[in-house]
Amino acid sequence: MGHKRLRFVGLIAVAIVLVVACGSSGGGTPAKTFKIGLVTDTGGLNDKSFNHLADVGLEKAKTDFKIQGDVKESKTGADYIPNLTDFASKNYDLVIGVGFLMQQAVGTVSGTFPNIHFAIIDGAGTDANGVDLKHSNVVSLFFKEQDAGAMVGAMAGWLEKNGKSKKNQHVIGAVGGVSIPPVNHYIAGYKWAAKMEDPSIKVLVGYSNNFNDPAKCKSVAKAQIDQQADIVFQVAGGCGLGALQQAGQSGVYSIGVDADQKDADPSVIASALKKVDVATYTAIHNVVQGQFQGGALTFSIANEGAGYAVDNFDLPADLKAELDKVQGQIKSGALTPPADIPA
Amino acid sequence: MPLGSVLFAFVVGALICLVTGANPVDAYSGLLCGGIGIACAQGENSALQISNTIVFLTPLITTGVAVALPFRAGLFNIGAEGQLIAGAIACTAIGVKFSGLPSPILLPMVLLGGMAAGALWAGIAGVLKATVGAHEVVTTIMLNYVAQWLLRYLIIGGPLQLREGTSTSLPIGHGARLPTLLPSDNSLIIFGLPASVYRVHTGLLIALAAAAIFAFLLWRTSFGYEIRAVGQSQKAARYAGISVRRTIILTMLIAGAFAGLAGAIQVAGVDHNLTDMYFSDTTGFDAIAVALLGLGSAVGIVVASLLFGALHAGGSIMQSDAGISSNLVLVLQALILFSIAANFVGAIRRGLPFGRASAELPPELPPAAGLMSEAAVPPPEPT
Repeated sequence: MGHKRLRFVGLIAVAIVLVVACGSSGGGTPAKTFKIGLVTDTGGLNDKSFNHLADVGLEKAKTDFKIQGDVKESKTGADYIPNLTDFASKNYDLVIGVGFLMQQAVGTVSGTFPNIHFAIIDGAGTDANGVDLKHSNVVSLFFKEQDAGAMVGAMAGWLEKNGKSKKNQHVIGAVGGVSIPPVNHYIAGYKWAAKMEDPSIKVLVGYSNNFNDPAKCKSVAKAQIDQQADIVFQVAGGCGLGALQQAGQSGVYSIGVDADQKDADPSVIASALKKVDVATYTAIHNVVQGQFQGGALTFSIANEGAGYAVDNFDLPADLKAELDKVQGQIKSGALTPPADIPA
Repeated sequence: MPLGSVLFAFVVGALICLVTGANPVDAYSGLLCGGIGIACAQGENSALQISNTIVFLTPLITTGVAVALPFRAGLFNIGAEGQLIAGAIACTAIGVKFSGLPSPILLPMVLLGGMAAGALWAGIAGVLKATVGAHEVVTTIMLNYVAQWLLRYLIIGGPLQLREGTSTSLPIGHGARLPTLLPSDNSLIIFGLPASVYRVHTGLLIALAAAAIFAFLLWRTSFGYEIRAVGQSQKAARYAGISVRRTIILTMLIAGAFAGLAGAIQVAGVDHNLTDMYFSDTTGFDAIAVALLGLGSAVGIVVASLLFGALHAGGSIMQSDAGISSNLVLVLQALILFSIAANFVGAIRRGLPFGRASAELPPELPPAAGLMSEAAVPPPEPT
């Protein structure tokens, strides 16, 4: 009995191996197809943010350039290096890593494969100390956060000046995660544009020193709302969701960041956007055109890589006109939002 | 029984593939390729796949032991993840603080430090169980959270943080790193790829040694006999003159040391610093499945670790080659666990008084003994 069962199991195993072997000997493709590999961070494809947008860019490139685009979702941080390495070892034409969490992994793997092109969103290929290794086969896709910040800042300033906000005390707030360059770029553009629209405005800036804990950002937002702020701009990732919620509970407006955060809270009237899909698409486009260059590409309003979305809010026509004007001036270079927070 | 569980899972997994419109042959060839380097359809390097699987399975062996040993004593250690993190923290702290020391001194320091931290973490649960009877399932789960949030504090704003705005620790010194089995040299080409892509490190040998020590401890020492006696029946063990309290505390200490070793090996052999990857790490939980699937034996744990390591490594190839969500791998793992659990039901039923006598249970079913230990709270011992 036991032997019989074993033999049966053995037969099944052999059958499976045979089927698999046959299945894998498929036909090859005739012409040179560019192969692009995308590795997400642990957020996965359904993160409604960077990973999702990167995939949107990849899908668009697949349709436009007839490339082969493959995705690997990282389940844990331990998957970054194997996932990047697998694409690189198969001679992919471009391997894209999403987000600064993968900096060190991209640094390591790009050093091992100097002939493979890599792109990393919002980061660089670094060593364990976070120092950019400046590998010539890595392109960093950065964003001018101040451009996106300026658009939502102009919107907030206009609402305050024209008495279209909730309290109309000429006070708005910004809740930052940690005082680091990408966060401060957003806030710089926000404050600068708000002051441009409404010179009497007061912009409260606070930091939660955290990117993950919504409770911390909630309390920073609460303090600002208590000081009469009636529009709160969150620049703190997952922590900032707490700021959006606090705005909703206090009956004031809020502004989302990075991706369209319309669904995060009904109080979200707009979102400042980093268009990761545009950045991903552009990086792929460059590779397909044979124009890959190491270093950094910066995405801004000028190249449609940054912008804003209007969310749970009916935009008045004259505000729309004003925003179009500001966006046009930034695009043409007539206006340049600052990278450092103005006094 | 475990083979049946695995087969069952794969058959149901194939059905799920079909139902969701995917091709199960593609899925499993991707899984085989990523897992053990065979049936690769798109030019994957077999040696690289095997190397990745070994990197994943190494910590599973030691954490598997950390779950299996308490099973033998009738204790359910859900806290291997927390103990692993404690070990990783200690290893990093020592490796950063004494980064200038040479390898022959520093490497033993970080590994022993990791073991001590893991032992301490599990020991808390062991002492609480032995003294006030706090159930180890509850305490070890809670200690997992404490370890995770302690780690979060240490690398985000705490003393181990690399720099403001980062969520990684400082890197450990070169003397604290376990060497890779192949030279880490880009100019050297092995199996068609630069040698540094093969991350297999000497931690594998340490993990295999740990599994051997586990088997020796359990079957060849008097303490191992005491552990098994306590696992079979605390009352009988006490009657035979075994201190149940002492056995429980020591078992948890040793188990924690094994789990802490896993964390130390992971930092010293692969990562070289603490990162936020431990917020999403599941090694200590996979270890429970590994211990169950391996029937609590050393060889079984190594084989089950191989299976889970292969599933983990294979998932990403499955996704990129066959376009099937790597979540299917999680479904497969869950199905394997599910079918083991289903067999559990049978085993437990046989153990009930109105079923077959529990003495007739084959001795190689310790997990059942673990779940069936009748006394969650040990009555006071006559000393």
